[in-house]
Amino acid sequence: MRPTRIVADVATLPRTVFGHRSLMWWGTLGFIVIEGSTLFICVASYFYLRRNFSTWPPEHVFRPALVVPTLQAALMLLSNIPMRWADRASTRMDIRGVRLAFLICSVLAVIMTVLRWFEFQSLNVRWDSNAYGSVAWATLTAHGTLLLLETAETIAFTVLLFKGPIEDRDLAGASDNALYWYFMSGVWIPLYVVVFLSPYFM
Amino acid sequence: MPVLFAHALVQQSYSTLNPASPQARLVDRLGDSMFITAAVVFGLVVLALLWAVFRRRDSDEGPAEDARREWPLRTSALVATAVTTAILFVFLILDVSVGRSITTNPGKGALQIRVTGHQWWWEVQYRDSLPKNWVTTANEIHIPVGRPVVFELKSTDVIHSFWPISLSPKKDQIPGDENSLWFQADSAGVYRGQCAEFCGHQHAKMAFLVIADPPAEFASWLARQRDTALTPTDALARRGKEVFLASPCVMCHAISGTPAGSRIGPDLTHLASRRTLAAGTLPNTRDNLIGWIVNPQVIKPGVRMPPNQFSGPDLLALVAYLETLK
Amino acid sequence: MSAPSRTDAGRPADDDAVRRQLDETWRQAPGIWGWLSSVDHKSIGKRYIVTAMVFFILGGLEAGVMRAQLARPENSVLGPDAYNQFFTMHGMTMMFLFAVPVVTAVGLYLVPLMIGARNVAFPRLNAYGYWVYLAGGLFLYISFFLNTGPDTGWFSYVPLAGPEFSPGKRVDVYAQSITFTEIAALVAAVELIVTIFKNRAPGMTLNRMPLFVWAMLVQAFMVLFAMPWVATATQLLAMDRLVATHFFNPAEGGDALLWQHLFWFFGHPEVYIILTPALGFVSMIVATFTRGPVFGYPAMVLSLLSIGFLSFGLWVHHMFATGLPQLGQSFFTAASMMITVPSGIQIFCWIATIWSGRPRFSVPFLFVLGFVVLFVIGGVTGVMFASVSFDQQVHDTYFVVAHFHYVLIGGSVFPLLGAFYYWFPKITGRMLDERLGRWNFWLVFVGVNLTFFPMHQLGLDGMPRRVYTYLAGTGWGRLNLLATAGAVLVVLGVLLFVINVARSLRRGVRAGDDPWAADTLEWATTSPPPPYNFTYIPVVESGSPLWERSEELAAVSGLRTDVRDVLVTTLLDARPDSLHRHPPPSIWPLLAAVATTILFVTLIFTPWGAVIGTPLLLLTLLGWGWPHGRDHREQRMVEQTG
Repeated sequence: MRPTRIVADVATLPRTVFGHRSLMWWGTLGFIVIEGSTLFICVASYFYLRRNFSTWPPEHVFRPALVVPTLQAALMLLSNIPMRWADRASTRMDIRGVRLAFLICSVLAVIMTVLRWFEFQSLNVRWDSNAYGSVAWATLTAHGTLLLLETAETIAFTVLLFKGPIEDRDLAGASDNALYWYFMSGVWIPLYVVVFLSPYFM
Repeated sequence: MPVLFAHALVQQSYSTLNPASPQARLVDRLGDSMFITAAVVFGLVVLALLWAVFRRRDSDEGPAEDARREWPLRTSALVATAVTTAILFVFLILDVSVGRSITTNPGKGALQIRVTGHQWWWEVQYRDSLPKNWVTTANEIHIPVGRPVVFELKSTDVIHSFWPISLSPKKDQIPGDENSLWFQADSAGVYRGQCAEFCGHQHAKMAFLVIADPPAEFASWLARQRDTALTPTDALARRGKEVFLASPCVMCHAISGTPAGSRIGPDLTHLASRRTLAAGTLPNTRDNLIGWIVNPQVIKPGVRMPPNQFSGPDLLALVAYLETLK
Repeated sequence: MSAPSRTDAGRPADDDAVRRQLDETWRQAPGIWGWLSSVDHKSIGKRYIVTAMVFFILGGLEAGVMRAQLARPENSVLGPDAYNQFFTMHGMTMMFLFAVPVVTAVGLYLVPLMIGARNVAFPRLNAYGYWVYLAGGLFLYISFFLNTGPDTGWFSYVPLAGPEFSPGKRVDVYAQSITFTEIAALVAAVELIVTIFKNRAPGMTLNRMPLFVWAMLVQAFMVLFAMPWVATATQLLAMDRLVATHFFNPAEGGDALLWQHLFWFFGHPEVYIILTPALGFVSMIVATFTRGPVFGYPAMVLSLLSIGFLSFGLWVHHMFATGLPQLGQSFFTAASMMITVPSGIQIFCWIATIWSGRPRFSVPFLFVLGFVVLFVIGGVTGVMFASVSFDQQVHDTYFVVAHFHYVLIGGSVFPLLGAFYYWFPKITGRMLDERLGRWNFWLVFVGVNLTFFPMHQLGLDGMPRRVYTYLAGTGWGRLNLLATAGAVLVVLGVLLFVINVARSLRRGVRAGDDPWAADTLEWATTSPPPPYNFTYIPVVESGSPLWERSEELAAVSGLRTDVRDVLVTTLLDARPDSLHRHPPPSIWPLLAAVATTILFVTLIFTPWGAVIGTPLLLLTLLGWGWPHGRDHREQRMVEQTG
């Protein structure tokens, strides 16, 4: 090896960083891009297949019911409040704040998962009836995997937070979880509009 | 037999480099000009590369970063890029122009033919304002010379692609969709086409013939095709007709003028007027017909037609009947 | 024991002690367990490369059998059913199991070394990616040997691939094996992007990054945006077959063309995903073997970026025969022609580099010369394909088979072989034999031309692709026989390569750190590199870190040697920003890959596979992510009172 000449020392650099300074944040972002593409593809296919039908929904298919989906959409939006609280608490190293916020979010995640089951019913069409049903179910399923993953991750993290031991850098993980949560809940809104509302307009 | 067939095939035109229609010729010329340009570009690049590699150099020291050489190198690269862009632009214009010429609707005087792709044969239908004048045949398409022909392209099963090769570029036949292409044959002749979209086991043996006839001959061909099948006069052939009507053949094949009306397989009403069997796979001879009927799986493994059991006399009678279907 | 801090520049005492401790901290555990639990990007990279080359040979054997069948009309080596499986397996193997994985694997091996990092950003994820890739390949081949191999082509058009016309499990194998390879590719993409963004050596600003690193960065973004399309498309296809959805069923409003749009939106970037790293190889080889930096660095970077970007706008040129509106098609003609420009810029800059440098005719350089010749041939026929009307004549014929083999073999395999000859010393510590290498090159070069050039003529003469045989009267026999003869030469050439590798591993001339007098950071460490890559993280002061400072290498100290410390730097100008602790070796990535395999394989047989597989996968992810085995509590424990 070549002889080296030391020009700087990095021993005092921080070990816990948040946001774009953190590797995990970037990894989460990568996952968001991938999942986001998948959801975009579902929406694009939705509109593409629309062209094969003279009415939308197709004949003999009822429009989706809106009660449960709208409740879910509202819950998705509102859930950002406790998650944002967790996010801010984590940057302050406030473990009690993070614990409480994550507990709330865990409960919300379970509720939203259950609601997702009922959202499928609200579609008023089966996945194997026609292409409309297939693509609506596919969109809900694709987003459903995000919801499922985030629920599992949030609950697991909550357990870790209560069980411990926790290091500083684990709290950065709370912040990454929040990032994913913003995406999962935020991306649902346009999907909700497409899958549940647009049949009323198209 | 194979030798004769080989000879016959070679006489049939099936190369994009032998265009037999104005449409194919336009494309061929475009292809030629692109090819020549491509060859020149390739030659220039290789020459430049060889020059760069082998040019005489004085001995230098260390990594060569000669600022004096920057400017001519940069200019050369820029010029090369600009020339490339210009060439591409020219081809873009040419392509759009050729594309427009060959797709612009030929107008009302065109003959309309519907070709539906099946696994692994071609259903050919000449429609008319009077349904009783409709002609349905298979694998062999006759067209009049010098008159535009519009093909409506459909498929009932998987994606096929109708490719008349020397007469026209191809267009896919997509289930649930309808495409069309048109062309006009310059001169009389027999032209071979292929299916050009992988469609399963016998994609390799899904060919068709386009036979361009002078207008009068075409008209008389069409008139004959409109006729229902002749009632056979020969005793053997009459017996053959009975064999046919009592056999599983009627499950798939139609012969107009008889109770057999299934559209699953090729229409046999004028089978004997066709030059090939099995979508261009075999010449239409007695021996080949017998072989095909007895076991099509040997010739086209995977084809939808099953082997058939006939007694010797029945088989001969059947074939005699089929040979009357001109 | 923490490393002593330093505040002023000076040579640290006792480098050997530092290296010993680093070695102990970073090395893979011994034995099989160590191999299975390794998170070393070099170990993973090597096995990735070897696996991909095994698939290359399998794919080549498939092609050999196909060529044997097509050597004569109406041949009987393969019937239609077997042939359909063979050509599908050949395409899938080459595209999914060889081409993308091998260039990605070389990237995963080299990029951390080239940017002065100790490892990729997520070491365990890297391991997971490899295991999933291996599982996918094994799954595909086991199915093939069980006569359940896919048989509808590597792009598997519907409705042929749908439930009605392809009963059985073959197409389901197609759909789910792609899932494995696509997960692996996405994993690698995330690794490369985050590593390149955040783990570069201090001072390696974006405009000092080696061109190969740029190429991998661009490729990784392309993978990130392209792979989800094939992943989703294949899941939709799987659902059509498994649970009777109607995405592609025209009878219920589905659309056969939807599949083509989804597939080709991935499929076109896919070929540039295969090409772009190869362009990176060429840049590195040209620089080293002309003893000067590549001419026109900004133009090279911009053209890489343009290629990456433009490649997403071309996909409809695979669908010119489907009857789409002409105006729309013309847009894609223009875009398909436009992408020639950045590729051309790269070639012009390389020629300028060679012209202003002093070429050395070692084997890597020969492969680069071969690349230019073959790739330009493939490129110019590609421009011909951009024309809609010409395409409509030659689409789906042997003309296109010729075209894509020229661009794939010329554009990617030749640079890859050159890269192997170039970096084999770094990876193994030994040189490959030059003489065997020359034979290797010439046999493959001549063989490729002999095999594929006649196919242009065959396509123009009406020979469609994907045909198990052809009639004697077509006259296609002679050129087909010639092509088969060429294939024999290619096989011999590849065989020589394998022999060269096998012999050189044992008896090759030992290579020092930098046998080629090259310029990038990987040559500043030993051959092969130690598990920790560099004793001290280097500091880069220019785009030519080794050539400009031939004596000493600037470096930073301060990383701990008793734990797996890595340096995280800022994105744009690579200033040291934070320290990060990498996990030790772990078996969880392998377990997660097993769970993933169970999930997707059972999904072929029943939708309940999701119910079985998902909790399993979540469990392994839990085991993976749960913090455990923390002995060094140097971090402040977070207290209850916050």
